[in-house]
Amino acid sequence: MASMLEFRTPGYNPYAVKYSPYYDSRLAVATASNYGIVGNGRLFCLGLSAAGVQCEKSFETNDAQYDLAWSEINENQLIVACGDGSIKLFDLGVENFPVMNFHEHKRETFSVCWNPITKDSFISSSWDGTVKLWSPTRNESIKTLPVGCCTYSTSYCPSNPALISSVSADSSLRIFDLRTPVTAKYHLTNVIPVHAPATGGQGYSRLADGSIYSGAVPNEVLTHDWNKYNDTVIATAGVDRIIRTFDIRNPAGGPLAMMTGHEYAVRRVAWSPHASDILVSASYDMSVRVWTDGSTMPQNVQHIVPSGRQPETVRAGTQLGLMNRHTEFVTGVDWCLFGAGGWCASAGWDERVLLWDAASLLRG
Amino acid sequence: MGALDRLSQIGNQISAGVTGGGRDKILQKNADDIVVTCALRTPFTKGGKGGFKDTHAADLMAGALRGLIERSKIDPALVEDIKVGTVLAPGGGATEMRAAALVAGFPESTAVHTLNRQCSSGLQACVDIANQIRAGMIEVGVGAGVESMSTNYGPGAVAEFSDLLEGHTEAANCKVPMGVLSEDMAKDKGVSRKDQDAFAASSFQKAVKAQKEGLFKEEILPLKAKFEDPKSGETKEILVERDDGVRDGVTAESLGKIRAAFAKDGSIHAGNASQVSDGAAAVLLMKRSTAEKLGQPILGKFVAASVVGVKPLLMGIGPWKAIPKVFELTGLNKDDVDIYEINEAFASQCLWCANELGIPLEKINPKGGAIAFGHPLGCTGARQVSTLLYELRRTGKKVGVTSMCVGTGMGMAAVWVAE
Repeated sequence: MASMLEFRTPGYNPYAVKYSPYYDSRLAVATASNYGIVGNGRLFCLGLSAAGVQCEKSFETNDAQYDLAWSEINENQLIVACGDGSIKLFDLGVENFPVMNFHEHKRETFSVCWNPITKDSFISSSWDGTVKLWSPTRNESIKTLPVGCCTYSTSYCPSNPALISSVSADSSLRIFDLRTPVTAKYHLTNVIPVHAPATGGQGYSRLADGSIYSGAVPNEVLTHDWNKYNDTVIATAGVDRIIRTFDIRNPAGGPLAMMTGHEYAVRRVAWSPHASDILVSASYDMSVRVWTDGSTMPQNVQHIVPSGRQPETVRAGTQLGLMNRHTEFVTGVDWCLFGAGGWCASAGWDERVLLWDAASLLRG
Repeated sequence: MGALDRLSQIGNQISAGVTGGGRDKILQKNADDIVVTCALRTPFTKGGKGGFKDTHAADLMAGALRGLIERSKIDPALVEDIKVGTVLAPGGGATEMRAAALVAGFPESTAVHTLNRQCSSGLQACVDIANQIRAGMIEVGVGAGVESMSTNYGPGAVAEFSDLLEGHTEAANCKVPMGVLSEDMAKDKGVSRKDQDAFAASSFQKAVKAQKEGLFKEEILPLKAKFEDPKSGETKEILVERDDGVRDGVTAESLGKIRAAFAKDGSIHAGNASQVSDGAAAVLLMKRSTAEKLGQPILGKFVAASVVGVKPLLMGIGPWKAIPKVFELTGLNKDDVDIYEINEAFASQCLWCANELGIPLEKINPKGGAIAFGHPLGCTGARQVSTLLYELRRTGKKVGVTSMCVGTGMGMAAVWVAE
């Protein structure tokens, strides 16, 4: 890890870090003072140069910032999710104040995601139990999707602009399809209980060692991300410390793979933009871990049911590397889209943003 | 948007969700825990020839209930409800169990009712009483179970099915005799005769050893019974003190010689299936705060229970489905549990469930099970509680699970903690 870059955010505890989709040298960090419990927030826009990581611009907000997303249509714009329930659109060319303010959520906004396909809309999720769909040019939301409990994270499918996902405190992964009629379900097409084993088919799941996977206790799901290569696969993680992957085509099939190792809640997961089986996770255990979900490895199925009816088997993912340079909760991690592949940015409550090469972890 | 809400949200994210971790949680002692302050059973005797062959179910129950009052020294007027699991009693046994409670020394203010969930009736009775206490309906109650298979077992035990039921395949399957469907299940699931016999023999050997070491002393309540000598025909009163179905010297080889009972090429026989028996058991339940107020010694606590349905023809797999469900309710995993009392209805199904769940055999039925000392249907679930709690206490272990398969395709499981 010789080639690690560092940026400090004195007085502010980062909650999210994101690379620009336009420039390999640009990234932004959403932070909050006093660990996001009380006080203001600050958005740092960072640039990489020969001189290291430098703050090119910063924007203050009156409440904590919990997430951010770069605009997919304007390389100078980005949105932040704020503790007062608002979402603010900042432009790097405009000093101090947001160019747009979207304020409908009644409690903390916890996540934002820009539509990567049509690029003309973004979504947000909130503690008020809703996901909202917005146009960057309108102050009022276009649509509100009810979840019913604190919704920690929402995301667009990377290949289909009509598919929206969310994870929430009720241990569920929800899929909304905007092509369906509104009806009573508000476009909700699937609810996957993240903690549960398979309920369809044979009605249970097995682990790779042949033993029965009886599921876990329901727990808050804090983060999720769509695989960038298999557009039906989603990874989730949260309070129960386990990272799971699901295939949304088989909502009753239980998890495809499970990755265990984190010692405290997982705050963020992100699939690699460069490999279909690699993901990175950031946790309250102060570590960032790199995993393979095992989908590219041959599976050694040890247990065959005599009657020939096979239950769902849960693959065991493998931890490939561990980045332990943070000294407080790690809350954000993101992959750089550019270059040889493998560069990550992580940010944590130790008031630091670290840029490092995941490939160097794999090499040992 | 309050700071305190945010703080407690983050606090919960950090402290909750310990993988497994359920064990620490259930080992905590809280004032509203449902605790067992006394649990006992009569000896189990062989149906039709054992010590209780001429004793009515209600007499067995009255004996066990009287024993419960004597051992626990509870003021019987404090017991507000008694629930008795019984399967074969005509009319559900409702009338004679109320009468039995009065005979045992409970006042008329103590309510009594019976229930029938087949082989899990005794457990269901305990769970129902625990839930009544938890809900605040009663403060002190008794969960019990009884069966006199000598007097009540026979072809009349299942009513005739109507054409409507017979015309529905899955419904009609509910009537298939246990032995026949278990034979098919053993074949289907590939449980060999050899494995079944080895499992059954070890049940006998464990029970013999436990009997010799006096490990049943604490749970068994010796009971006087009228007994008609089959040779002389004279009726005398005897003291029944021990399970008379336990046979010494049983080995897998000796069981291997017995002819299969349900199919020519079958694998199930009298030696690797549960015995037909008579017996009663009772469990005194209340809140921890009540027990402390009354000065009752706490034997252990009831944590949670699960009930599931499975295919009627695969009723033997009930524990395999019920145990994971109770784990889900409690946050336990299979390694958190020190002892499993899984009813040995048949060696085949008990063994299959254990293997499927990955439970090591040394954790299952350490004092033997129904194959060695019998399975008085309605009683077994309540019997397991005393067998489990005393063994946990003796060995210094903590967490136990009781579970059984249930005829017509169900399963139950419950988690208990010894103190």
